[in-house]
Amino acid sequence: MKQSSKMNRRDFLSWLGKGLLGASGLLGFLGLGRFLSYQPDPPPQTRFDLGPASQYPPGSSTLVGEAQAVLLSTGSGYRALSLVCPHLGCILASENDGYACPCHGSRFTLDGSLLNGPADQPMRELKVELTPDRRLVLDTSEYRS
Amino acid sequence: MRALGVLASALLLAALLLAWFVESRSLAPVPLTPTLTGEIEYCLTCHGDLPEISPAHAVQTFGCVRCHGGERLALDADLAHSSMRGGANPSDLAVVEASCGGSDCHSGPALATTGTAELDRDHIQRVLTGIQATYAGAIAQMRFTFGAQPDLKARYGIQAVKAYRMDNELALPELKAFDPGQESSPAVLQFAENCLNCHLWSEPLDGPDSYRFTGCSACHTRTAGLDAEQQVHDLTLAMPYTQCNTCHNRGNYDLRSMEFVHRSDDPADRMHDYYQPIAQFTRCEWTLDCIDCHTRQEAMGDGNLYSHKKEIQYVQCLTCHGTLDELPLTASIQRQDELAMRLAFLNPVIDLQVGDSILVTSQGEPLWNTRLLDDGSYELFGKATGERFSFNPAMGSGCQQQVDEQESRYCHECHAVER
Repeated sequence: MKQSSKMNRRDFLSWLGKGLLGASGLLGFLGLGRFLSYQPDPPPQTRFDLGPASQYPPGSSTLVGEAQAVLLSTGSGYRALSLVCPHLGCILASENDGYACPCHGSRFTLDGSLLNGPADQPMRELKVELTPDRRLVLDTSEYRS
Repeated sequence: MRALGVLASALLLAALLLAWFVESRSLAPVPLTPTLTGEIEYCLTCHGDLPEISPAHAVQTFGCVRCHGGERLALDADLAHSSMRGGANPSDLAVVEASCGGSDCHSGPALATTGTAELDRDHIQRVLTGIQATYAGAIAQMRFTFGAQPDLKARYGIQAVKAYRMDNELALPELKAFDPGQESSPAVLQFAENCLNCHLWSEPLDGPDSYRFTGCSACHTRTAGLDAEQQVHDLTLAMPYTQCNTCHNRGNYDLRSMEFVHRSDDPADRMHDYYQPIAQFTRCEWTLDCIDCHTRQEAMGDGNLYSHKKEIQYVQCLTCHGTLDELPLTASIQRQDELAMRLAFLNPVIDLQVGDSILVTSQGEPLWNTRLLDDGSYELFGKATGERFSFNPAMGSGCQQQVDEQESRYCHECHAVER
């Protein structure tokens, strides 16, 4: 007796149900994978490799834009000053003879001393490390007291 | 039964697809970590199109939450806005201390204690005790006129308030809150019902000519002529006269009906159409903006509680022009951090330099938008327009004033403009 190749209603519903469940499961797994693989925003970078110290000759002043800082090579060592204004935190702009706050008008000399307020303290100093292979690393995570 | 299983599977898949679709359409969070707070906030996810409110309040420095409050990490609008201060206006006087205060911001030490500009930060204390916030003058005037008090000395303000300073012989130690429930005069009751809307605590009158915010933004946010539905994100020190007019030149109260009678002047022609028809004005009064002459202390107060606006209004014609006997008061700028220099930085209409001589008021306030020139004349730059004006002192001119007659009405006798 020849069997009919035509799918009957019961089989069709069975396959359809399985297909829908499979698709739902796949979608669920994709969502779960996305949830488990979520990466929060990384914390802001606080250590910056400034390259070989020999790049910064004595007397030079170098803006480090990504760190919002300026590196001063003083001859006797290296100093880094934060360009974040100690008044309310605006980013200081470089001028011919120093730095100025574009928000409130505080001004500082090239070595960070306060010229006029509303800031009431000089530019804040950051930590600079000289590695054994004589590279400079700037640390913006805290200010030097 | 099998059909029901298929239906349930289809519904499950549809629900998952819907969730996926909704998720894929949600905005990608836009983070901002302001240098002032160091705390990440996501307000710019929806509000990235707003213009920066002012150069002195850069968004990269202040962010949004420091001033506006709100839930900084929320991406749902209702949740994010749930704890905002003052709705869209954090400078409303009810919340201004939390929004704009702080010793480094607008509620710091007074200028008088140090004489240096960097400590002139008691703006909030002065505004809260100022006549534009207390409305004490109008209340006292009405209560006196209708027999509720024996003199014009103020006893009540919109809110109960204690003096911030007591260094003027006219100053009051405190004001109680005006309570209409304690009044018996029908006229005062009607005044309380209809007329308590021209002060910094109150919402504006209806109409585009009166549209303004409350609190600091009543003056410092340029809303004049804007639609109330229009979004505005603006703080300025260059307030045009039209902003002052949202309160000060919209009409008058009818003392018989105690109702505000709105004037429908067309402000396009300032001299002919804008000002009250019977009044006289000199060129200064219809050419300059109000803030070109009237100072911060006059507008915001000096911390003393006064009974009448005249007690804190002291700029006169002679402040800039002097008298036949005396030149106007001037002072030489000695240091970069003087108040005049700081104000000139914040509203750079004049290139003020250390060594310049500027006009000062009888109270010693710098008119920082002016300068004494080598030939003995003066220049003034419009704070809202930047336009330059020059003028001469009365002394040595053909002016025929009596030295003891310095009220504006005497100057109007010769200098009022024909209209």
